[in-house]
Amino acid sequence: MTSNGHLIEIENVSKSFGSHLVLDGIDLAISTGEAVVIAGPSGSGKSTLLRCINGLETIDEGDIRFDGHSVPGAGKDVFRLRAEIGMVFQSFNLFAHKSVLQNITLGPIKVKGLSESDANGLARDLLERVGIPEKADDFPADLSGGQQQRVAIARALAMEPKLILFDEPTSALDPEMIREVLDVMRDLAHDGMTMIVVTHEMGFAREVCDRIAFVDEGRIVEEGEPKAFFEGAKSQRAKDFVDKILRH
Amino acid sequence: MSELWEVLVRHFPEFRSGFLVTLQLVAVSFAIAIGVGLFVGALRVAPVRWIRWLGGLYVEFFRNVPLLVLLSIAYLGLRRAGIPIGPWVAATASLGLYTAAYVAETVRSGVFAVGKGQIDAGLALGFTYGRVLSQIVIPQAVRSVIPPLGSLIIAMIKNSAIIGAVFALADDLLKEARLIGSATFQYNEVFFWAAIGYLLLTVSVTFAIRAIERRLVVRR
Repeated sequence: MTSNGHLIEIENVSKSFGSHLVLDGIDLAISTGEAVVIAGPSGSGKSTLLRCINGLETIDEGDIRFDGHSVPGAGKDVFRLRAEIGMVFQSFNLFAHKSVLQNITLGPIKVKGLSESDANGLARDLLERVGIPEKADDFPADLSGGQQQRVAIARALAMEPKLILFDEPTSALDPEMIREVLDVMRDLAHDGMTMIVVTHEMGFAREVCDRIAFVDEGRIVEEGEPKAFFEGAKSQRAKDFVDKILRH
Repeated sequence: MSELWEVLVRHFPEFRSGFLVTLQLVAVSFAIAIGVGLFVGALRVAPVRWIRWLGGLYVEFFRNVPLLVLLSIAYLGLRRAGIPIGPWVAATASLGLYTAAYVAETVRSGVFAVGKGQIDAGLALGFTYGRVLSQIVIPQAVRSVIPPLGSLIIAMIKNSAIIGAVFALADDLLKEARLIGSATFQYNEVFFWAAIGYLLLTVSVTFAIRAIERRLVVRR
């Protein structure tokens, strides 16, 4: 299934934590500009798969290629690779000792060598884009969860990544804050950002993403366009999942 | 009441010199404690097991031997073994190395208090491990270590009294107080002023730490 022209090619990837097989022969290819949702029950290996793509976890078997190059297990190359892949975490993980602005500028200044004034300008533009320009000088602890997550998205964007990984970006948010984060993500997808999103937000999956990969017990059970997935899932497990999620 | 003031006024030079000696004793010991404590604390969180073990050995030895015993070893034991160690060195080294064990443990807990998520976020930006340490782990660890470090300094100031009291290794505040006491028999008044002297030190440290805390501490 891998052909050239894909930004990411995941080929027969397996990984275990101890004796627990978390990823069991995953195949997935994603093109530039695609927004792909990875769905599935908790503990099915979705987050681990994301973390393998930017080398935060190493894989035991198979190959992950980003932009034509295998994701290195260690060494300088893995740091270079991560600078090209943004990541947004479930628990935001903003740097607690840095202001909002500093959170966004730290990467561009330290990794890409931007001057402080250029980085500040970039950060203010991005804060405007995620809708909270007035929070530049606040500290993460002063912000709501939704605001923190929008800063985290701005932080990822500041590196001008080719791909952004979203690891359950709304799972730690109060319901009334989920929307503001999803709106930012929706705009990103419409602007053509390549993104892989692990989420339980099926509304987002249905309306925004190009493709859904349904993962269960470390395998991709089903993969396809959202409409086909929600209306006519082929496997029983995917059907049960859709049923549970849509009826809850 | 007048006797209280009288003792202070008449013996002010001794009180002052004792106070200054205690201040020096505490300052030098604290410098040793921070220097050695940071180093040992770094060993305790090193990625290599035997280095961590080495740090652990230091902490367990210096934390689990009473300060009085350490002083005896440093001053009496080493001299008897033919190592000519001066009273001042023996005193500051004992107090400093003893406190360093606690500083090391504080550093260790400070480093572990930095969430794994913070480290992941740094790595995800393309930071090297060195940069994650210098930009994220160390600045945050330093901030979370400040309040417990304040308690350690205060404990060290109070522990310093053992030095003048037991081996008379330094002419510190407590030793001067005892000398004045035995000359005047006004023990109540003399020790009242000695206590005030120690309070002066500990309370200033408390305020200093609180001021630093307000400026630096990370809210999570």
